[in-house]
Amino acid sequence: MKPEDELIEKHRLLVCLGAGGVGKTTVSASLAVKAALLGHVTDVMTVDPAPRLLDALGLDADAHQPRRVNLPAARARKGHAHPGRLRALKLDPKHTFDAIVARHAPSEAAREAILRNSIYRNLSGALAGVGDYMAMERLLELSADSRTHTIVLDTPPAAEAIDFLDAPRRLLELLNSRAIVLLSAPGGIFRSQLKLVDIAARAVLAAFDRVTGLHLLGDVQQFVQSFEGMYSGFAERAERARNLIRAADTAVVVVTTAEAGPIAQAIEFVTALNNAGLTLSLVIVNRVMAAVPDEAELDSVKLPAGLKRKLRRNLADYRALKYREQSSLTALRDAIPDNARIVVAPDLGREPQTIADLAEIGASLSLVG
Amino acid sequence: MTLARVLFVTGKGGTGKSTIAAALATALARRRPTILADLDGRGAAAALFGARLSGPDPVAISQTLSLIALSREGELEAFIERIVPVRAISRRMLKSRTFAYVTAALPGLEAFLLLERLSIMGSDAALEDRYLVVDAPASGSALELLSVPSGLSGVAPTGLLNRLAHSVGTFLSDSSRFATILTLTPEELAIREALETATAIRDRLGIATAAAIMNRTPSALFDDTDLASLKPLPAHAAMAARRVASYGRSALGAARLREAGVPTIALPMLFTPAVGRDQLAELGRTLEAELLD
Repeated sequence: MKPEDELIEKHRLLVCLGAGGVGKTTVSASLAVKAALLGHVTDVMTVDPAPRLLDALGLDADAHQPRRVNLPAARARKGHAHPGRLRALKLDPKHTFDAIVARHAPSEAAREAILRNSIYRNLSGALAGVGDYMAMERLLELSADSRTHTIVLDTPPAAEAIDFLDAPRRLLELLNSRAIVLLSAPGGIFRSQLKLVDIAARAVLAAFDRVTGLHLLGDVQQFVQSFEGMYSGFAERAERARNLIRAADTAVVVVTTAEAGPIAQAIEFVTALNNAGLTLSLVIVNRVMAAVPDEAELDSVKLPAGLKRKLRRNLADYRALKYREQSSLTALRDAIPDNARIVVAPDLGREPQTIADLAEIGASLSLVG
Repeated sequence: MTLARVLFVTGKGGTGKSTIAAALATALARRRPTILADLDGRGAAAALFGARLSGPDPVAISQTLSLIALSREGELEAFIERIVPVRAISRRMLKSRTFAYVTAALPGLEAFLLLERLSIMGSDAALEDRYLVVDAPASGSALELLSVPSGLSGVAPTGLLNRLAHSVGTFLSDSSRFATILTLTPEELAIREALETATAIRDRLGIATAAAIMNRTPSALFDDTDLASLKPLPAHAAMAARRVASYGRSALGAARLREAGVPTIALPMLFTPAVGRDQLAELGRTLEAELLD
């Protein structure tokens, strides 16, 4: 088996992390197409895909449920009971959060109170951490289906690698924050349980409310209180998400391009993952240039001298870029743990916009170190 | 062309935002004292100068160019210290996770404080005859950041915050004080994102765009006759065709942006084994000629 295929065979879950602009969604979708063509029953969840990629996957803007993707004709491989199948869905954090609230809320009144709360509306709409947590939630749902062989998860662009993987714990901390409830307690016995910092936080928020008229203190209190009956449900889900990410058949994949900036960032990601005790399986370097052709070929061909000069100049130009790329890859190899693999994905020279393009990228993935 | 005092450089991820911000600052610093502010928190622009930003203190790159890092956390810290004058308490508060959540849930407080800082720095820049170049987040986040003042005015219809939001909003829409610079590369997605961002910045936010900068434009080098005679050398032909296609997309993209009312400057693809100060100076010279003369 090719080592690139083995990476897919070995893992049930591939979580792709990376900064914005490196082609994380394309790489995730290519991995999923590859898995499906290897005969796996595969799901891919994307976040904010480019319009054409959305078209390629047969998704529209509100495809919250997995949809079947038509694959290029492929035969089931030996040893697989099912022929490959690919489903894709797009993550909508707000939609997912609303659904969770609806599922866990102890009463109709509690559900309404949460959905109307302004902190909830801000949290569920805009806050990056919530998007991360909701991706995790959807992942648990997808992973519960034992018929699925492979799940590829494209995560929201992150400034820090750990943001995504840490999301369930952070949201739990907020919901479990007794201090927030106590913050706005009217006084007396509750006040005595507050720490100095909380009293100070209360003072700031109260001052802020006075200045702004935002009723923040009350909103935060209401928000946390309305989650009281739901806490254990969330805690249990968060624990399961944590275990899933750390499972032996989960691959954490960092996606980058070969440019100096993204490579430096990928190295930071890998280091952070390592410090958090997570095993990185793979760094995928996207849009790697094709090899520069051999200059000797020019000697034997009959071409006008002017054109040969241009071709030599073109070779020199792209050799310089190739050299730059190679230096980045070397820096990456030197900086990451020995057991982490580096795989390169080719630059197609055009924007990938069909399943065939994604299949081509998937087929050309190659292990370089 | 008269350039705004504060130039806010944003664009699709991977289009060379930090490189262009650094090149632009290099060019401006040849005329006047210039500050390059890193909002991205990665110190990518600093790394191009071989410098390192740690903490809030500016780092001098030359007589006239200095670098500074601005962070949302740092601005929040300054704000809290203003409200809670007892330093021991404000310090502990900022370390409290509970407090971090409460402030994160506030609609755009940190982002707003960051913009307020830029508007203060912008006024200082005008007074002191300086330029301020901002290496801003990628276009999606940048649009969110720039729409914070109008959002806040809606949430807080009266009071101090409303007055602050109003004054920051006025600063952002004054094209002599503030303008955006959009970066892109000769790729369809980047071109489309630049067009969408330019439209949103102008129509939705009422903010000026000084220029779009088409990064990494190669010279065409080959003409159609050349390409046609390369048939016997498929690998060479493919590489030549890519170069020509990239040149073509750059020209076409620039035309589309100009048609949408955005002045567009093409920067050359740097076919060099590394990008450092010399390359920044080279890009800076092109920018200087196009933006300032």
